[in-house]
Amino acid sequence: MIDIPNINTDRLTLRAPRAEDVPAFAAFYASDAARFVGGPMTEAETWRYLCQVIGHWGMRGYGRWIVTLRDDDAPIGLVGLHNPLDWPEAEVGWYIWSGIGKGYAVEAGKAARAHAYDTLGWTTVVSMIAHGNDASVGVATSMGAQREEDYQHPVYGAMGVYRHPGPEALA
Amino acid sequence: MSSQLIPTIETGRLSLRGPVAEDYPNFKATFASYRSRFMGGPLNTYEAWMLYAAEMGHWDIRGFGMWMIHDKDTDETYGMAGGWQPAGWPEREIAWIIWPDKAGKGFALEATHAVRKYYYANGWDTAVSYLDPKNLDSVRLAERLGAKKDAGAPSIDGSDAVYRHPSPAQLDDTQLAHGIEMEIGHYADPQFKPKGWALD
Repeated sequence: MIDIPNINTDRLTLRAPRAEDVPAFAAFYASDAARFVGGPMTEAETWRYLCQVIGHWGMRGYGRWIVTLRDDDAPIGLVGLHNPLDWPEAEVGWYIWSGIGKGYAVEAGKAARAHAYDTLGWTTVVSMIAHGNDASVGVATSMGAQREEDYQHPVYGAMGVYRHPGPEALA
Repeated sequence: MSSQLIPTIETGRLSLRGPVAEDYPNFKATFASYRSRFMGGPLNTYEAWMLYAAEMGHWDIRGFGMWMIHDKDTDETYGMAGGWQPAGWPEREIAWIIWPDKAGKGFALEATHAVRKYYYANGWDTAVSYLDPKNLDSVRLAERLGAKKDAGAPSIDGSDAVYRHPSPAQLDDTQLAHGIEMEIGHYADPQFKPKGWALD
């Protein structure tokens, strides 16, 4: 298991998930907004899911961060690099549950993507987006990602695959 | 909590360390097998992967968790033992699982006795184990550890039996503690033949 690095952007901090984040995370997963990302879940399921988010770092050496504003430790989203066993390849993913419409997902997503390219040395990354999740498609498009052929997930069904520009294209 | 911060526990034969990605294949093999039928399994590969990730994350969220049991000399893994309390668990649990082909050598007893001692030395004053009543090996192990069925304690979902572990005082240089250590010693050294067993 590895330490989870902190990343700061202009407005946001990406930090390791903690026990104190469970209530906000559970509230998001209890809501209709979570229907595109495996929800809704009970609080107990969400608790275990947050454990899995942390454990993903141990299994892969990378993972997802809790997003906060720079001057406020309250969690507003979960953004980062995600590659569980049933994913076709590593993705950069995001959900923001507070402060929607301010570009936080794009800002945090770009920071996570930069971490993948600059720190981890990846040459490509996708985003996996459930059909109908137009807000998320908007984020992927803002980041320059382009749609490819769908991936058939064993549980979630068809998911849109959006491939991001590689490190050279962004340089 | 990174694995560097998870304490290592050494016993006579075992080294207990935080779970890491390299140890996952043995975990997966066990949770894909019938062996895991009393612990929510068998699981498919995705479920097993996510459960193992949750084992790691549990340490961060709770500050305690399950150790990977290694052979002190060869480093091979035998199973897991430690503290476990996902959401929905009424109390902190002492839990264990031994890979199917490593059972019968007293590893669970030795590891569980050590982790219980560790938690008792670090602030726990009680612990339970939630057991499927049909899981006779684990019921027997709980009894060898001195745990007794606690009919008044809340269970997880009504289908499990709650076994209450002896208190720290009941394990402090008592006949019970000596009996457990004697049994572990017998497993560790087959030449060692104790004359009789502790009665309580």
